[in-house]
Parts: sequence; structure tokens; C-alpha cells
Amino acid sequence: MKRLSVIVLVVTAFAQNVFAEEGAAPPPMMMPTYQMRAPLPEGDRLETTGSGEELFSNRCGSCHLPFGMGTNVLTVQRLALGEPPEMGLLTNREDLGAAYVKAVVRNGKVGMPRLNRVEVTDSELERIADFLGRGKP
Amino acid sequence: MKRVLPPNLTDREFDLALKAFAKVVGEDWVLASDQDRSTYADIYAPGPEDQWPPSGAIAPGSVAEVQEVVRIANRFKTPLWTVSRGKNLGYGAAAPRLPGALVLDLGRMNKVQHVDTELGYCVVEPGVSFFDLYEHLERMNANLMMSVPGNAWGSVMGNALDHGVGYTPYGLNARHICGMEVVMPDGGLMRTGMGAMEGNHSAHLFPFNYGPSWDQMFSQSNLGVVTSMGLWLMPQPETSLLLSMSVPNEEDIGWVIDTLTPLKIQGVIEQSIFVPSWLGKVVLMGTRKDFWDKPGRMPDWRVQEILKQNKLGFWTVGVRLYGDEAVVRAKADVVKRAFKRSTDIPMEESWWRQGEPVDVMDPSNGVPSAVALQMGDWVGGRSAHLGFSPVVPATSKHVLGQMRRSKKLIEDYDLDFYASFTIGGRFCNNINMLMYDRDDADGVRKVKALFDELIDVTRKAGYGEYRTHLNWMDPVAETFDFNDNAMTRYTEVIKDALDPNGILSPGKMGVWPAAYREHAQRGKHS
Ligand SMILES: Cc1cc2nc3c(=O)[nH]c(=O)nc-3n(C[C@H](O)[C@H](O)[C@H](O)COP(=O)(O)OP(=O)(O)OC[C@H]3O[C@@H](n4cnc5c(N)ncnc54)[C@H](O)[C@@H]3O)c2cc1C
Repeated sequence: MKRLSVIVLVVTAFAQNVFAEEGAAPPPMMMPTYQMRAPLPEGDRLETTGSGEELFSNRCGSCHLPFGMGTNVLTVQRLALGEPPEMGLLTNREDLGAAYVKAVVRNGKVGMPRLNRVEVTDSELERIADFLGRGKP
Repeated sequence: MKRVLPPNLTDREFDLALKAFAKVVGEDWVLASDQDRSTYADIYAPGPEDQWPPSGAIAPGSVAEVQEVVRIANRFKTPLWTVSRGKNLGYGAAAPRLPGALVLDLGRMNKVQHVDTELGYCVVEPGVSFFDLYEHLERMNANLMMSVPGNAWGSVMGNALDHGVGYTPYGLNARHICGMEVVMPDGGLMRTGMGAMEGNHSAHLFPFNYGPSWDQMFSQSNLGVVTSMGLWLMPQPETSLLLSMSVPNEEDIGWVIDTLTPLKIQGVIEQSIFVPSWLGKVVLMGTRKDFWDKPGRMPDWRVQEILKQNKLGFWTVGVRLYGDEAVVRAKADVVKRAFKRSTDIPMEESWWRQGEPVDVMDPSNGVPSAVALQMGDWVGGRSAHLGFSPVVPATSKHVLGQMRRSKKLIEDYDLDFYASFTIGGRFCNNINMLMYDRDDADGVRKVKALFDELIDVTRKAGYGEYRTHLNWMDPVAETFDFNDNAMTRYTEVIKDALDPNGILSPGKMGVWPAAYREHAQRGKHS
């Protein structure tokens, strides 16, 4: 995962701009390729039995897997805070809590739109938030 | 978002309607809390979101449930606003044109019903996203290629039904719809094309009906709810080759179009060819303040500096050729020869061969990505955009005229110019991206006034839009003014005949049912 996340940074043109501004040589271009999401777990989405990890991959993966738009934007934000680029991946973060994740999903944040309960059910969100929050409330 | 009732309904009546819907879809799929309403609002709204407020959303899980929901909506007179995934960002997202309409969210119906690898088509339900279909095709090794929009977060169906644009040879998405199943405004069910015959084997192959054809009647439409749709898919080519170059000057778009259009019409180039201006590249490189930290449009000298620093031209030309290597090679030579007549700039070649990884940042590869949404970060704050999207003939005369006209106006309003021309055949879709910070009330006012004026001057010059945001559905409909807007009047006669209660998507593309016609914003702008 870490290796991939560095590639994310390297491939996105705007990240190159970050390097340029810091005066470092721009890294070589690498191709951002498609990251398959986990399938949506079978069964009743209102009482999902899927794991937080697979639900995160399927419900949030269009933006938050490597090469996703959310990952790209967060990578730049994390770099600006002096953190390593892999912190652009939500799955690498240790500072998230479940309540925060839920609030961002339903209320949106900056470029992230609010997600409705068809996109992510409350039951799915519980598990995703628990997974990203690593058990923290 | 607080509750806004559908027109003419009391709280009690509305609650009764919600109860009736809940009996059909289950309480959990009636989404009518304040938070639910906010999640269906237009997050890119030019102005307050509550200008286009939904009263809530209903999410049926089957065709039978859709039919029952439509019948109940007729009974309680609760207008429905149909979306497949509702990611129509820049055009209103999932929000309804009529305040208080209930969003009919079909996102739960997300099965890829069928893929035919031999004849190259799929049958999808509304909630199938571009990512879902891509992964489905990959997992079954279908060897078929999709046509994807820049923002591929949405649905295959909603995009095609809204006349969405992709960048492969199948880029005119609505053209590749074949055979639909549709819930009628009275809750009845019909199938179009050969599929109108029970068990017909050609339901998604032959593009016409026996008799008048209806498939296109349900696109950009409020005459039915599409519950499944056949869509042709292109066979995965053996190779593809991207020929690219940057052309330095604004006016170069003229000869670029005159070079590309004949090749497109002859079939040498098969794809819908996307030609973006420089800002299309730069929005993905950071935020505006990284490049220019003052309000108002970037001065020309700074633009030139940015282009130089980033080795960009004013326009980027990227032509992708698809097929067997020998054929692609031969076509590439034809394309290069054609460009040679106007420029010495070499075309860069970048080959792709089956089995190699595919660059997701380039939608001409047919691989879904939502990376284009990063431009939502450009302006800063809660940034958003609108697309002003006229259709122009694909010749230098019309394209240069359109470019100069809109550029001048956009710059008169002190905004940065960002346009693209996509050659889809004998025409171009010209998208002018107007970006703003939603919390900057003055900026939003300015963009709205600009949009009004763009519609007017573009109409006066003889062009109309192919698609627009909720706020301008009526003014744009009015620009189609032949014989006292005969076309809209005709559609409204059909609308009233099929949907006497006016419950399906009132106001979509300026088509209003009698029941709500007083809500039309005719003769006035934003
Ligand atoms: C940065 C950016 C880039 C974009 N690039 C492109 C692009 O390249 N090409 C492009 O086309 N768009 C583009 N878009 C616009 C938009 O995001 C996409 O078109 C998106 O696919 C639309 O959302 P959706 O598929 O969820 O459609 P929906 O919102 O579900 O549907 C769109 C409309 O179609 C009708 N409709 C939907 N489903 C049904 C149904 N079942 N029955 C009857 N009517 C129905 C409704 O009127 C609905 O409002 C872009 C947007 C952004 C922000």
C-alpha cells in the first residue's frame, strides 16, 4: 500500500507542481492505473455483514483508493502539513475517529460531496467508520 | 435542509404519501430527514442550495416497486424527479427543478443484467456506475471497452440519458442506447425496439421500433422512468495510439478543427475528439492561488508564463486511434500528414497494446476515473462549476466565432477562460467551464449574470446548448424558438397526454406539465 501511495503522488501532475515549488527535481512520470474495488458484499445493505475494509473499498473506492481524486487531494493537503505522502490514503491515517468519518460522509467537506443513504447506508457507514477510525469513537 | 413540501400539498397529505411509499419500498428507503434532503441538494448550486430543494427521496429496489411508487405519486400528487445515481455535477446533481419534488433515486437497482461479448452490448439497470460496469467487464474478461465521461462517478444510464459525452469511438453515449424498459407516467411498463415483443432475441441490437421509435424520447426527458437499457460496447481494440501535441495560440483552434473534422467524418479518426484549453490541464496541477493569488482573471502575461513553465500550448490536441496495429499505423500516418499541412510541431506517439496497464487519467482509454473532480478544488473554498455548453458546426468559422464570443464575454466578467471543443461528428460540443466559490455571493451573482448573457449572445449568433443546469432549463428551452417554440409546445402536448398529473420530473429541459406550468420561468432569467 505504501509503495502505491507514493506512486499516486508521483503520477499526478499537480503533485509535480508541489515538487517544482519546493525546488526539487520532478519525479519521473508513472502511469496511474485502475485500482479494482472489492465487490459490494451480498445481502441486505440495511444490515450489512460485509467487513469495513471491503465496504470502504467498494463504497468509497472510486475516490479514496490509490489514484483516486480524494487520495490525490488529500496527499497534497497532508504534504502541506509536513506529513509523508502515503497519508493521502485514508486507510493509512491514524488520526481519524468514527464520529468524524460519519460526519464528513454525511455533511461533505471542501471538495467531497455529501453522500446519501443510497450511496452508503447507515449500516455500511457504521462499519466503514469503525474501520477507518481503527476502533476509535 | 428544512422540509419543503411539493406544491399544493399540506404537511399531512405529504406525510400520508410518505407512509404509502414506505409500504412499498420499506421505511428505510424513504429518505426525508433534514440530512437526507441535504444529501440530495445541488452541491455545486450557483446560489443557495434551497433554491432547488427536494422534499426527500424514495429509493425503490425493483421495477415493480418503481411502478407502485409512480402510481402512489399520481394518487397523492407528489411530483418525482428521476435520477439514476444523481451525480450530474455542474448541471444540478440530484436536485429537482421543481421545489419540493421527491427525488426518485434508482441507485439501488444496480445490476448489470446481461453482457453479450459476441455482439458487444450490455443491459444495465439505472444504479450501475461506470466503476461497477468496468469491474464487471474486467472480472468476466469481456474484452469490451466502455465510453466514460470525465467524471465517471455517476451512472452509465443517467449519463447516456442526459446526452453525456465520452471520448472513445462510442463517445456519443445516447446514440449507443438500444432497447429500453420504461415505467410509464401511469405506472404501466413498456419495452421499446424489438424488445416490444416478449422474448425477442434482437431487443438490444436493432436500433428502431416497428413504427415510430421511442428510445430517444426518454433521454433528457420527463416522459418515463427507464428501468433498464441496452448499451452497445466497443470491442477492446488490439492496440491504441495516442497522437498528441500542444498548439501555442488561442486562434490555432481554427486550423486544428479544420484538420480534424474531415478525418472524423471520413472515419480515419473514430473517437469523439476532445480539445481542451490550457486551464483544463492546469486545474489538475493545484489550486488557483498556487498560480495567481489575486482576484479577477489571470492577466495574459501570467498565462503565457504558466504555459511556458509547464510546456503547455493554449490548446492540447490528443487523437487516439484504435484497432489492429497495422491499421492504426496507417491511420496515424494519414493524421500526421494532415497536421503537417498546418504545422511543424511534431505529434508525440504513445502506444497501448492489449494486456498493458491503462492510464486512468485519459478517458479516451474508456477506464473510469473521478480525478476530473479535482478541479473542484481550483478556486478554493467550496468551489464549484457550471458548464455553458453550446453545439457548433465543426468548422473553423463557427468554432472561432464561438470561442471569440464566449471568451470575450467571460473576460469582460473578469473570469478565467476555460473551454473545450469535443468533435462528435459534424459538430462540436463546446464546454465553457465557469468556476466559482459558492460562498462568494458576489462571484456567484457574476457567474449567473454571465451565464444569462452567454445564452443570449449565443442564441443571437445562431447556436443553442445541448444540456444545462437546472437554473437555465427554461431560458435555454426558450432559445429553441422556431415557430413560437413549436418543439417545446409539442412535447408538452405529449407530456399532458401521458402524464396528466404532471408527476414525472416537471420542468426537465423546460418541459412543464399543465399541473405545474405556472412554475416555468419563461421570459425571465436568474
Ligand atoms: C469535473 C467534471 C467533469 C465532467 N465530465 C463530463 C463528461 O466528460 N461528459 C459528460 O457527459 N458529463 C460530464 N460531467 C457531468 C456529470 O457529472 C456526468 O454526466 C454524470 O455522469 C451525470 O451523473 P449521473 O450519471 O449520475 O446521471 P443522473 O444524475 O442520474 O442522471 C442525469 C439526468 O438523466 C435523467 N435520468 C437519469 N436516470 C433516468 C432514468 N432512469 N429514467 C429517466 N431519466 C433519467 C434525469 O433527467 C437526470 O437528471 C462532468 C462533471 C464534472 C464535475
